[in-house]
Amino acid sequence: MTQQTRHTHTVPGCAEPDGPTGMMHALLREIADALERFVATGEVTAIDMRGLPLSDADRVGIEQQLGQGEVSALLTVAGQSEIWETAISGVWWVRHLGASGGVAAEEIVITRLPEILATHPDDARDGLVRLRAMLAAPSADTTSPHIATTEDAA
Amino acid sequence: MNEPATLGEALSRRGISRRAFLKYSAYLASVMALPASASQAIAQGLAKARRQSVIWLSFQECTGCTESITRSSSPTLEDLIFDLISLDYHHTLMSVSGDAAEHAREAAMKENKGKYIVVVDGSVPLKDDGIYSTIAGITNLQMLKDTVKDAAAVVAVGSCAAFGGIPHARPNPTGAASITDIVKDKPVINIPGCPPIPEAMTGTLAYILSFGKLPELDHLARPKAFFGETIHDRCYRRPFYDKGLFAESFDDEGARKGYCLYKVGCKGPIAYNACATLKWNHGTSFPIQSGHGCLGCSEPHFWDQGGFYKPLAAHAGVSAPLIGAAAVAGAAAGGAAAWIARRHQQRYLAETEAIDRSVGKDKG
Ligand code: SF4
Repeated sequence: MTQQTRHTHTVPGCAEPDGPTGMMHALLREIADALERFVATGEVTAIDMRGLPLSDADRVGIEQQLGQGEVSALLTVAGQSEIWETAISGVWWVRHLGASGGVAAEEIVITRLPEILATHPDDARDGLVRLRAMLAAPSADTTSPHIATTEDAA
Repeated sequence: MNEPATLGEALSRRGISRRAFLKYSAYLASVMALPASASQAIAQGLAKARRQSVIWLSFQECTGCTESITRSSSPTLEDLIFDLISLDYHHTLMSVSGDAAEHAREAAMKENKGKYIVVVDGSVPLKDDGIYSTIAGITNLQMLKDTVKDAAAVVAVGSCAAFGGIPHARPNPTGAASITDIVKDKPVINIPGCPPIPEAMTGTLAYILSFGKLPELDHLARPKAFFGETIHDRCYRRPFYDKGLFAESFDDEGARKGYCLYKVGCKGPIAYNACATLKWNHGTSFPIQSGHGCLGCSEPHFWDQGGFYKPLAAHAGVSAPLIGAAAVAGAAAGGAAAWIARRHQQRYLAETEAIDRSVGKDKG
């Protein structure tokens, strides 16, 4: 995934004001304060971008200022999500896409790793059940695994 | 195979990970303006919750509310709600099933006694013993009373169910009543709009599932998360209103420049709804962004408010120069609009109550 292929908020032909509003610097300062708390105490902060009165220019400006770090991920569950670490280590951008690829939710998270990227213990447990079921099946052919679900095992 | 005990189990049987809950809860926290930190609590609540039985009754309505909530064809983030609820009966969607659908409703009521949620769209005719709308030979009034009897809560979706809506418009020939006029012994949540914003319907249901309680409501029983502010409060044309710059017609210079639509009838100052922030068609646009004033469809009696294209000031008997002057004054503008809104609402409420009395609403 590259910066260029990411989804943007711009809706062609709509007459919303799109110039900078001054919110960008306020938000960058808020992110700096949150990062300071994270460094000092490990406190995780999530900032909901949709709740802020940002113009398209503000959003683009913040994305450009924070830049692109070393990690990016594309999540495919109930539609897609784009997640990347910005050039400021510890500051992550999480963008959930909804129907028709529109942005449904968007957060800047100050953390080591956004929780949604880590495997949930319950999912790991489910994974184990599936793998065991796969190995126990008489026709198990480990060279071309059948994608089993827990429904098969139940 | 056993029924899954929790939603977490139900999704994992379909090969969907817990990430779906984290994603949905981030979305829900965002649309309900909850702190982003609340999303973890929502995700945990959803994973442990049981699938919520929902019985959907459709009375005097146009099916727009159902269209709104079932609008999407591919499974998306917004559609996850259909994994969280068990829509055990939906009169319109199940109409071809005839008798079997009615049995499904009765079975769901028995199995989930005291726990199911009844969603109602459409108003209920009370005049002439409710004969103007029946389903399977049962009047809407009787079906509502029978179904609500063992429900945990009732959600009135759309302005017809919440406030009587278009069937209630003068002269209200069927004696149409809202759900809160009839249901007095159960919690009722109103999600008005013609139709309501899908996120307001699904968000409210998901909130109940996650937290096991009703969201905070306003004086008209609307969730404050979606109906806490007017369209005018969050309208992107507001800077023009504050400067006194208005479109005078739909094709003038002001309209082309995107000026405020107040003088061509916008009801944004009295309409409490989230269209200006959540928007429609997957966040594409909303009426004002498309060049048309707000109709105020989430307010009681929006159909009878004297004309969609007349400015609010005209209804309240206020001269246009007064509101114009208030608007130019900037800070005073909000106050002027609120004052007009109150005066306007009071007059229509008084008139509508008189009509209700004349059709014998108290029959129910
Ligand atoms: S009157 Fe209508 S168009 Fe004008 S600012 Fe208010 S909501 Fe927007």
